[in-house]
Amino acid sequence: MNNWITIAIPKGRILEESVGLFGKIGIDCRELLSDSRKLIFENADQRMRYMIVRATDVPTYVEYGSADLGIVGKDTLMEQGKDVYEPLDLKFGYCRMMVAEPAGLASSDDPAGWSHIRIATKYPHVAESYFAAKGIQVEIIKLYGSIELAPLVGLSERIVDLVSTGETLKQNGLVEVETIAEITTRLIVNRASLKTKHRRISEIIQGLERVLQAS
Amino acid sequence: MVDFQNWTPMTITKPDISLPRGVSDFLPDAAAKIGYIEGRIRRVFELWGFRRIITPKLEYEDVLSIGMGEELKGRTYRFDDRQSGRLLAFPPDITPQVARIVATRLNNWPLPHRISYSGRVLRQTEIQAGRSREIFQSGVELIGLDSPEADAEMVAMAVEALQGLGFDDFKIDMGQVEFCRGIMAASGLQGQPLHELQQAVSRKDSSAVARVLSANSVPEASHREISALPRLFGGREVLDDARRVVTNSRSLAALDNLCQVLDILEIHGVSDRLTIDLGETRGLEYHTGITFEGFVSGLGEPVCSGGRYDNLTARYGFNAPATGFTFNVLSLLQALQHRPELEASTTRDFLLFNRRDDRREVLKVAHLLRSQGYTAARDIIRRDYDSSLEYARRMNFRCMLVVGDDSAGGGCRAVRTRDGRTLTLTMEQLQQNGLMKFIEESQGDE
Repeated sequence: MNNWITIAIPKGRILEESVGLFGKIGIDCRELLSDSRKLIFENADQRMRYMIVRATDVPTYVEYGSADLGIVGKDTLMEQGKDVYEPLDLKFGYCRMMVAEPAGLASSDDPAGWSHIRIATKYPHVAESYFAAKGIQVEIIKLYGSIELAPLVGLSERIVDLVSTGETLKQNGLVEVETIAEITTRLIVNRASLKTKHRRISEIIQGLERVLQAS
Repeated sequence: MVDFQNWTPMTITKPDISLPRGVSDFLPDAAAKIGYIEGRIRRVFELWGFRRIITPKLEYEDVLSIGMGEELKGRTYRFDDRQSGRLLAFPPDITPQVARIVATRLNNWPLPHRISYSGRVLRQTEIQAGRSREIFQSGVELIGLDSPEADAEMVAMAVEALQGLGFDDFKIDMGQVEFCRGIMAASGLQGQPLHELQQAVSRKDSSAVARVLSANSVPEASHREISALPRLFGGREVLDDARRVVTNSRSLAALDNLCQVLDILEIHGVSDRLTIDLGETRGLEYHTGITFEGFVSGLGEPVCSGGRYDNLTARYGFNAPATGFTFNVLSLLQALQHRPELEASTTRDFLLFNRRDDRREVLKVAHLLRSQGYTAARDIIRRDYDSSLEYARRMNFRCMLVVGDDSAGGGCRAVRTRDGRTLTLTMEQLQQNGLMKFIEESQGDE
């Protein structure tokens, strides 16, 4: 039981990319891509266990040690600030966390003069600490999706959100005004697991590191 | 807006009995388990010659602050003292209190001091996380020694205590804060870049480390040292890896020191329990040398932590090198929760059920059992046999003892709660050694 490694992975693109990446270091988990409703998969030969969880829950499972490893976007890590190790940037899932506003406002706007602005976002902690570091007072409106809608209906003047191609922003008449951070997918590790299972986990980290450097 | 905190439906008029977040009531079973854990730990401390002190639950905030870093200060509960007009604080850590006591009350005593403590401290936590604000600490301080043997003694004791508690899969992860500090100092980085670097190293985030390095100019030797830092964890081979890349003298001295401690731990026979992490910076600010944390598998947070703090007593006016560590008892409880030894600590031995109106015999039997060290409680309530047995089961008694049963021929009848089997015992048998074992293992009356 204690030789097993448990990995928490969210569904969707991260899952597909991760399965490919693990395949390259000899960890076969293609079973995860089957159209199953199972939430937990086991591979007794490789002593691996996989849990399918929501992306925002990955850091929690790892911090509490229910999973030894997790795969999750840097955006989620920044928002939650959990005490986990994040030894590897897996390089995929690239996007940017940015501040955007309507094109009309942007043409005459000066970010240096912002004061008491209203921001709609899925990332209240990131937004709050970003603006606090700049000394700007903000009113944060937490939304759970379709953030781009907020400025269109006057809920907020600006948004903080992820953008990859910028297409959604464009279609909703928004432009990017400031970049907060570049986001990629990370491998995270529970603190106790790194110590109590350090051989197996180091092997995985080093293996992935070699694959990533080669690509 | 509806005030949910104070909101109750009109029909219910119960008093508000909520507790502040982050504190708990520990009911008898949990409290018994905590008592068991603390008892085992305290016994190890005693066996190594440590003597307990009891520190106050309240101190003046400015006095306590002398011995605390910024992080702990920020997590301290403070309030006004109406009598003195000064600020009071609940200690968030016992070590600064011990440092004060040693520096001001024990400063004329011969060194070293071997001191243990067991108590509760309060710390502010992020309310969202739902973590406990109350921390049960059982720890030791070894004051007046700067020798590696003293550091090794702390680690060896931690191993012994964890083994005594029944853990077979745990690691003590060791570091040396001077190693990291040497590398950081040699880099010449300051302010924001240094802060970012420290954050990245503590997360072992090599890509963030690389980003800081590419954005700032650092000497080439430093560049190599810093890049290696997030990967310098593992077994003893890490020390060789470190020696290959590290050139600054402060870090090299830290490596030598760690080596000496590891050699002594080899003699203690605990080497297979150790891992090394040279990039760990989570120790408290007052640490100055060897630090360590204990991890058990399946639990995210450390169960014990500690290290060397050579400058702390000096802040209270008495210069003495020191080392120490503390167990987080609630983490241990979480990890050990369902072990048989802990479950056993929640049981009681005998519930005495009297068949007669005359209580002389039953009280005599109770006295007899207690004098042999058994826990024995009287079922004073008048109820029938089945109800009493049900109560005994529900309340974790191992045995109900029926006294005054005429069919028992002047003896008693023991009823094992686990399976309801009965066993007739003479008064002589009641006084024999190993009574409970005899009852537990008996096949019962036919």
